[in-house]
Amino acid sequence: MSARLADDELLITRTFDAPASLVFALWSKPEHMKRWMGPANFTCPEAKIDFRVGGAYRAMITSPAHGENWFGGVYREIVENKRLVFTFTWDNDGPSAGVETLVTITFEEKGGKTVQTFHQRPFLNVERRDSHVGGWTSAFDKLAAYAAQIAKEHIA
Amino acid sequence: MPDTLSVTLSALADPTRRAILARLARGEATVNEIAKPFDISLPAVSRHLKVLEAARLISRGREAQWRPCRLEPRALKAVDGWLSRYRRFWTQSFDKMDAYLAELKAKEKRK
Repeated sequence: MSARLADDELLITRTFDAPASLVFALWSKPEHMKRWMGPANFTCPEAKIDFRVGGAYRAMITSPAHGENWFGGVYREIVENKRLVFTFTWDNDGPSAGVETLVTITFEEKGGKTVQTFHQRPFLNVERRDSHVGGWTSAFDKLAAYAAQIAKEHIA
Repeated sequence: MPDTLSVTLSALADPTRRAILARLARGEATVNEIAKPFDISLPAVSRHLKVLEAARLISRGREAQWRPCRLEPRALKAVDGWLSRYRRFWTQSFDKMDAYLAELKAKEKRK
């Protein structure tokens, strides 16, 4: 309960029946990205990708019900077929506007299939980046340990 | 002026503040009670509480001298909603990714 309380990160692991080089290309090539980016009822007619560290991408998804939604970011780390780190921000005025997020994806090929581990978290300020140097997981571990300790004290 | 969600997420970015929220999830507490398990000074805890209060993650009693702190679930709900929208976005995108990969594979076979 306590760990869930401050949950502001997303972790989605998926296994795809394809080699890592192909799954990676689905992220790095606009003609591929246009074919899958966006929720079920959306299409992605626009995608521009400057695929290099420091390079930007910008894309748009659209649906009859929701209209055009633009988003984009900058590539921060590229390890071909293995690891991809980029920022992700919506252009729109919705509640998520202006909240920059950091996406980290790792690709691991196992017997022709690829395990894609997708991680997204807010990317807000220096403080947050610093806390990541020590490892975000350790913060969660501490929180869990602390909650356990409190629970014990409570019973005792 | 930064929007509310950014303020909430910034407040949540600090591990100590997350631990304080975890403590308050069990019920309201005074500054002294909150500070007890931490290896930091009371003023430092007070500063964290101010950030949490500004982000409306907690509220503090005005009347009582010891001003107990309590969790305000609404801001956390906004974070939850933000996160679940992203979860839906990516989960459904990855479903399409799966279908597209199958399509590419079928094309490859026909060649």
